[in-house]
Amino acid sequence: MKYIRALLSLLVAGGLTYLLNRPIAVLPALGPFFSPFTGFWQNADAPLKLPPTDVQLQGLKGTVTVKYDDNGVPHIFADNDEDLYFAQGYVIARDRLWQMEFYSLVAAGRLSEKVSPLAVDFDRYNRRLQLPEGAAKLADAFLKDPVSKMIVESYSAGVNAYIAQVTYKNLPLEYKILGYEPEPWSPLKTGLVEMVMRKDMNARSDDYRMSNILAKYGKETVNALFPNYPIEESPVIPAGTKWDFAPVAVPKVPEMMKATLAANLDLEAENPGIGSNNWAVHGSKSATGLPILANDPHLGLTLPSIWYQMQLHSPTVNVYGVCVPGWPGIGIGFNKDVAWGMTNVGSDVFDLYKIQFKDTTQKEYWYNGAWKATTLKVNEFKVKGLPEPVRDTLIYTHHGPVLTNHGQKPFSADAPVGHALTWVGVEATGNSVKGLYLANRGKNYDDYRKMLPLVAAPAFNVVFASNQNDIAITSNGALPLKYKEQGKFVMDGANPANNWNGWIPMEQVPYVKNPARGFVSSANQFPADPTYPYYLGWKFAPGERGIRINERLAKMEKATPDSLRLLQDDNFNVEARRTLPMLLKMIEQNPSAKALPAFSILANWNLKNDPDQVAATIFERFVKEFRAAVWEDEFSMKDDNVPMLYPTRDVTWALLQKQPTAKWFDNINTKDKVETGAELVATIFKATIDSLTLKHGPMSPKTWAWGTAKSTDIKHLVPAFKAFSRMDVINGGGGSIVNATTESGHGPSWRMVVQLDKTWPKAYGLYPGGQSGNPGSPLYDNMIDGWAKGQLNELVFLKSKDEKHPKIVSEMKIGKSK
Amino acid sequence: MLYTLILIISAVAQYFGPWWTMPVVCFALCFWKSETAKGAYGVAFAAIATLWLGYALFLDNATKGVITQKITNLFLGNAPYKSLLFAATSLIGSIVAGFAGMAGYYCRKAL
Repeated sequence: MKYIRALLSLLVAGGLTYLLNRPIAVLPALGPFFSPFTGFWQNADAPLKLPPTDVQLQGLKGTVTVKYDDNGVPHIFADNDEDLYFAQGYVIARDRLWQMEFYSLVAAGRLSEKVSPLAVDFDRYNRRLQLPEGAAKLADAFLKDPVSKMIVESYSAGVNAYIAQVTYKNLPLEYKILGYEPEPWSPLKTGLVEMVMRKDMNARSDDYRMSNILAKYGKETVNALFPNYPIEESPVIPAGTKWDFAPVAVPKVPEMMKATLAANLDLEAENPGIGSNNWAVHGSKSATGLPILANDPHLGLTLPSIWYQMQLHSPTVNVYGVCVPGWPGIGIGFNKDVAWGMTNVGSDVFDLYKIQFKDTTQKEYWYNGAWKATTLKVNEFKVKGLPEPVRDTLIYTHHGPVLTNHGQKPFSADAPVGHALTWVGVEATGNSVKGLYLANRGKNYDDYRKMLPLVAAPAFNVVFASNQNDIAITSNGALPLKYKEQGKFVMDGANPANNWNGWIPMEQVPYVKNPARGFVSSANQFPADPTYPYYLGWKFAPGERGIRINERLAKMEKATPDSLRLLQDDNFNVEARRTLPMLLKMIEQNPSAKALPAFSILANWNLKNDPDQVAATIFERFVKEFRAAVWEDEFSMKDDNVPMLYPTRDVTWALLQKQPTAKWFDNINTKDKVETGAELVATIFKATIDSLTLKHGPMSPKTWAWGTAKSTDIKHLVPAFKAFSRMDVINGGGGSIVNATTESGHGPSWRMVVQLDKTWPKAYGLYPGGQSGNPGSPLYDNMIDGWAKGQLNELVFLKSKDEKHPKIVSEMKIGKSK
Repeated sequence: MLYTLILIISAVAQYFGPWWTMPVVCFALCFWKSETAKGAYGVAFAAIATLWLGYALFLDNATKGVITQKITNLFLGNAPYKSLLFAATSLIGSIVAGFAGMAGYYCRKAL
């Protein structure tokens, strides 16, 4: 009996310990996770964090000093570049290890292995987009050049030196909850991080929807409603700029494939608010006589933030700015002499080809008058909780991989069945690490031009300013040399004339230096007016932000950093200025619509999307509903079988103004009545008020205020971790507003203003998050409130290791271990 | 006495080692010193409840509760019951401790 009792009690105690030591279903291992000695309690940081202790690490040549300022920004001082990039990797891993590995897992198609089996379709799609192959090509390019090889290898060694120190107790919280551990970093993972950026920027297309429209309505309607250049636009390179190069021959337009109606699609909304603003004013327009540069890249707002601030100092460089965790160097920033910034160039670089297979084995396809063999590749990947790996057979054509095989369900509308993809993301390599190395050390305009060819994809509008009073902007990147409208519709994969045909020569991509107007700017609009000799795409971001920025900069005299900060936070609604007078006149014709209190609110609006404006809430909602009311009946975006695309807002407003009785305004579903544009405006205005009342209750200045109604959410990278997100941040702006904060949680992910100077620049900046990636740190989201108010912090840019600065609060020495 | 010993020795063990040194210490000390099965369970349970709850409260206070509410919300949605997190912490530790202590007592009896 006593033996049985002993055995039983041992079994219970041991079994309980064993069970609590391992994850059960979605729960973390409860023992270590709840233990205050090792678990989540240990991830809480005190408001005044103890200064980091000095460390000894293997792989360093000398001693590195890291000074932290009161915002948690590390200022790294090293005696040589190897140590500098080693320390950059080490220091960023201390704050953002989980996040950088998360990005690499996304691009590797391995989220379902580590994070959640729910990500299996997402993983499969990312693998089909060839993100892992693209990353391998990038890593090869990094390792081929001695400079970038030194950087990515030192950086990896630094990250790995941190990983080697980590025990369960100081593991980032997300690992503890999700139950996995960090893997070693490598140059390949830096390539994977770059691939995530490439995908976010331009891996989507409207080709398929446009083909459906072409098939149903013909070329004339496409030309009228989906033109290749907007009616109202203010391009990046000032209209009328002369092109000082002899263009190369553009491929001939081949005979078009007969467009057919497509089926079998999932639906995806229009392009999200991936966009950005940047500009630089020349000394002739600034208070000091030297340029000021501003940049605010708009990306998905997440926690941890996509950006991390740093200063890097070695005998060859002293630079400050932001970087993406996992990607060495400084991406957007400034040094003593120059400043640079980036916005996305939304050119069409993602093209679909219809493939005609010989039979269902899909082993051969028709190309150039003969059957050509495909290549098959089986992707095998582990999924958390599944005993067997998932297998996915990919079919490669010379165009690229088939995104969705026959018999499979497409992951998104960008990936129709039986179509192959050619995408710049895996076609162009460049060497971004070397490019940033040069940018960080740039001294003048010539250095800027030298760095550009290395940054191939995604294409960026790279703005530049120097203390020699030069300003410039280049719509830079690998841009395919296309015939007019190539890739506006799905192309015939059998016709060789549809293949991509090399690139626009790098020195002929749109650029301008010191234009007469005294400033350069970009907001993702068309890079150039139609005189530019090459076709870049038919649709770019709506022009309103660019129009507003250019108007204000044109008027600006004696600009200061604060004038540019205020412009970044500008809430003026250009679309409302263009359309509201016409809309109000149309609403007036309908007495019951005119009688609504909302009418006078709209009529008395200051045209600003300020957080307290009720009119902004009404207008933005109206625009959405009106566009759907005009176009959904003919160009349905919601039709699962034949999805199409609405004409742009630009085209919609021009049509309403010039042809208010056009047939498109008639609702084809009401047989006995022909609606005009004006009637539709009044009807939709009333409907808008009804739907807003339904959503926010009866109209009141509080609940209908734009800031409350829009409500920006800044979510953790794992959607299920709502507790680590900041919901309902109140601010103004909107998708087509300079302050481009949207309802979907996109917006200015970093705001920077740099005043160039002969002796030392003055810079300001801030992003909606915090330096620490740890939800248990006071520095996790400390900048969000200031960001919502449009404030900027003065950035601490130290001249040397010995400079005493009141904002430096702690110091850490990293020495080499014996 | 046993209570104090478990508290101190297991705290040292957990500070330097993994969390499961805690049941090992409870087992060993109760094997050595406990009088009855119930007593072994009770004293180990009480000592670890005190230790885990006390340390959690200390960390919460030292860090101004920066993580307590977030982890509560992670498990319980928007419920504001921070105290449940403290209760869960001390219970998870003390139940294991109690059974380990009891096993210590019974094993000695079996020898």
